[in-house]
Amino acid sequence: MKNLKLKSARAAYDLSQEELAVKCGVSRQTISAIEKGDYNPSINLCIAICRALGKTLNDIFWEENEQD
Amino acid sequence: METVSFAFVTGLMVAAILIVFILKYANKDGRVKTEYDERQTAVRGKAYRYAFYAEIFAQVVIMWILMTGMELPIEDYALLFIGVILGCMVLCAYCIWHDVYWGMNNDHRRFYIIFIVATILNAFPVVAGALRGTLIENGKIGMPLLNIAVLVMMAAVFIELFIKSMMDKKAEKTED
Repeated sequence: MKNLKLKSARAAYDLSQEELAVKCGVSRQTISAIEKGDYNPSINLCIAICRALGKTLNDIFWEENEQD
Repeated sequence: METVSFAFVTGLMVAAILIVFILKYANKDGRVKTEYDERQTAVRGKAYRYAFYAEIFAQVVIMWILMTGMELPIEDYALLFIGVILGCMVLCAYCIWHDVYWGMNNDHRRFYIIFIVATILNAFPVVAGALRGTLIENGKIGMPLLNIAVLVMMAAVFIELFIKSMMDKKAEKTED
């Protein structure tokens, strides 16, 4: 499933995938894979991404169920 | 034969030392080890698995060829080397296709220079052998086949790298 929250949070900071990747210490392709839903990041990388974007884990990585 | 073996081992040792310096030059941080992020490490793990399967498959086929006594215009040691190259090709192809073609600390420009120099170094004995007519001796090709196999692998890697880089640049523009 695509991670649109990450993409929009990144866009809100006017960061490119490359810039976010550098901030998180990963490759641009890894950020791209997370946004496309092709890769599930480790908790450490999730935290690094959230810190770079000034968001919480819930903001970026929690998926709301319809029942919630 | 002993002189050839000594030269071969000496060549390998010199190459091993050279590789250390080449990698230090090729990496931005001057380290020998290439750094990969967690996704790249996972992809490389899979790539090594497929490369291992390919190598095993190749070795079984080569063993079968040698057991049956099939006459090929290739020296036995060169035939074994093809199996090694096949494993390397699978490793490279899988990594490149899954976006693990550059490590975090690789200097792309320097790596391209190394690719070109390595290609020239491998092409030189093949061209020289072809010009002198010594590529095939006693009806069999030996050492030059090692260079040809490396050249084929490098060509395949370079073509895939080029295609993937083009695709990646396109994707980068649309995704950002």
